[in-house]
Amino acid sequence: MYRAEGRAGVAPYVTAGDGGLETTREVLLALDRAGAACVELGVPFSDPIADGPILQAAAQRALESGTNLKGILEMVREVRSAGCEMPIALFSYANPLYSMGWENAAKDSKRAGIDGWLVPDMIPSQAQAMRAAAEGQGLACIFFVAPTSSDERIAAAAQASQGFLYAIGRVGVTGANTLLTEETLDFLQRLRKSCDLPIGVGFGLRSADQIAAVTEHAELAIVGSAFVQRLRDAYEVNPTPSHVAAEAATYLTELQKGLRP
Amino acid sequence: MIHSTFQLPTQFGDFGGAYAPETLMASLLELEAAWIESRADASFQAELQDLLTNYAGRATPLYHARRLSEELGLELWLKREDLLHTGAHKLNNSLGQALLAKRMGKTRILAETGAGQHGVATATACALLDLECIIYMGAVDAARQRPNLLRMELLGARVEVVEHGQQTLKDAINEALRAWVGDPQAHYLLGSALGPHPFPSIVAEYQEVIGKEARAQWQAARSGQPDAIIACVGGGSNAIGIFRGFVDLQDVQLIGVEAGGEGIASGKHAARFGGGRPGILHGCESYLLQDEHGQVLPTSSISAGLDYPAVGPEHAQLHCLQRANYVSCTDSEALAGFERLARTEGILPALESSHALGWLIAKCESLAGKRVILNLSGRGDKDLDTVKQLREAQA
Ligand SMILES: Cc1ncc(COP(=O)(O)O)c(C=O)c1O
Repeated sequence: MYRAEGRAGVAPYVTAGDGGLETTREVLLALDRAGAACVELGVPFSDPIADGPILQAAAQRALESGTNLKGILEMVREVRSAGCEMPIALFSYANPLYSMGWENAAKDSKRAGIDGWLVPDMIPSQAQAMRAAAEGQGLACIFFVAPTSSDERIAAAAQASQGFLYAIGRVGVTGANTLLTEETLDFLQRLRKSCDLPIGVGFGLRSADQIAAVTEHAELAIVGSAFVQRLRDAYEVNPTPSHVAAEAATYLTELQKGLRP
Repeated sequence: MIHSTFQLPTQFGDFGGAYAPETLMASLLELEAAWIESRADASFQAELQDLLTNYAGRATPLYHARRLSEELGLELWLKREDLLHTGAHKLNNSLGQALLAKRMGKTRILAETGAGQHGVATATACALLDLECIIYMGAVDAARQRPNLLRMELLGARVEVVEHGQQTLKDAINEALRAWVGDPQAHYLLGSALGPHPFPSIVAEYQEVIGKEARAQWQAARSGQPDAIIACVGGGSNAIGIFRGFVDLQDVQLIGVEAGGEGIASGKHAARFGGGRPGILHGCESYLLQDEHGQVLPTSSISAGLDYPAVGPEHAQLHCLQRANYVSCTDSEALAGFERLARTEGILPALESSHALGWLIAKCESLAGKRVILNLSGRGDKDLDTVKQLREAQA
């Protein structure tokens, strides 16, 4: 589910269609070349209840520019045929997938070259139909755990997940700044004890220093709102796909400096 | 006792469930456990009962509306939730959940509101029980339900006006859920029978009092069974509250009235059963107005409380079982219902409740001679500006 398994990596989150799908296409190719461990490709949704203002605004822009799941999968197929090899996880609220039908959504995702699903409003006990469809197509399902999750819930999420387990580093919606607090460290240590899967940590990361601190305890550092904001800022300076893509590679390289050699 | 999974059934047939971020699960599990305990606690139930009776003013009357009955050619009884303290059925649920929050040791309440009635009821319960109260309200609703905004503030609540999305009930719920994700110490006091488990069950149970009372009152006043129960359906709490009192009587028709806006064909409405299909929003699977890509569609209604793209999961189940029949009433039919009740019975109904009336007036021939109970979920004082504008527009 991510490249260079066995050592740590950075996984950017990108809202598909923010700046248009052509931009996202170039961004994915640039991230692949710059050695992203994997990418979380966000499917914009009208009502993203787990997201803060940055990702909300990105989703809204993407929807306004006409982005939809079908178009996103078509774009993924293109980047695959252009040689993109990094794993791509589709990060989607439940309804766009459910609305297509879990089976169809799984088939189309797989055919396009998606490797797994991350569904932020899905818990393992609710996910039978989703998991059956994903497993039937060999798609990974990745579930979430939070500092407030009991050990039993962590075990259940780990058991239901493939590739890695997504650790929400702190309480709250996406986007606020995270420092590596005692609580977060305790949480990551608790995860280590109860699961063998690699751990991806998300929510609030934005700098190489934070990446360095997080990757002492986790395999994947997921950078969401900060990445989306950086691409947006670049787009506002110069909206050409190649400019935004170059900025994506630059920022990823900057973040990767936090990884131990 | 901390549980790692839900203890009660989360589904209503194929609908309901808990499609929630993991960050909310600890709060939802804590809530379910506390609710289960409170149901078995006689002193909790007695305290709630006392508040409902002596503070809120239950039982509300079941009133035989003779003049309107005669005009419509049927026998119409109104369940007078408009006479409940704060002017709508919402207080039944707000008092129940606020007491529950208190029992859980919570000190802060978060809530959404559309029409403002749930916000007012919650601000009221919080004032009474000394709880901090933050209400999320869409900017469009804050403008069209101005009196309720002022009432909430006077009751000591802080009102957060939500200025993104469609700026109505849906967006207020989004914002309240986000706030709860970041503030698990607070209790989220959801106002309708929707959202992730256990909310649809909790809210329906606190609203069941409407149906139980109406049934007992009917039996005292009248022999036999009513032929039909009619209620407006936003998220579905007043409707499920009265339906639950009669659902076991197979011969009693249950009729839920959705907001038809400018008509289903116009696309400008909030009729989930009329124009939606199953989907997942705000933590539950139910009927949802959505586009072909699974994006939630904007809705339209003169009534802020019915202007919501999804519907409580128990209604989706009743619909699929064909136990209840869901119909819709347009904006102008609802206005006619408002005016007719005012003139014939001296009651100004809420625009939400006016949808049930508007449908009945338009379709009274299909119920000719029948005995009908209509849940008058709220009073219309909050809607006077909207009604004035509509009347001017029509003149
Ligand atoms: C008077 C009144 N009736 C009905 C409703 C609709 O909600 P529900 O369908 O949950 O009863 C509202 C909501 O604000 C309301 O204020």
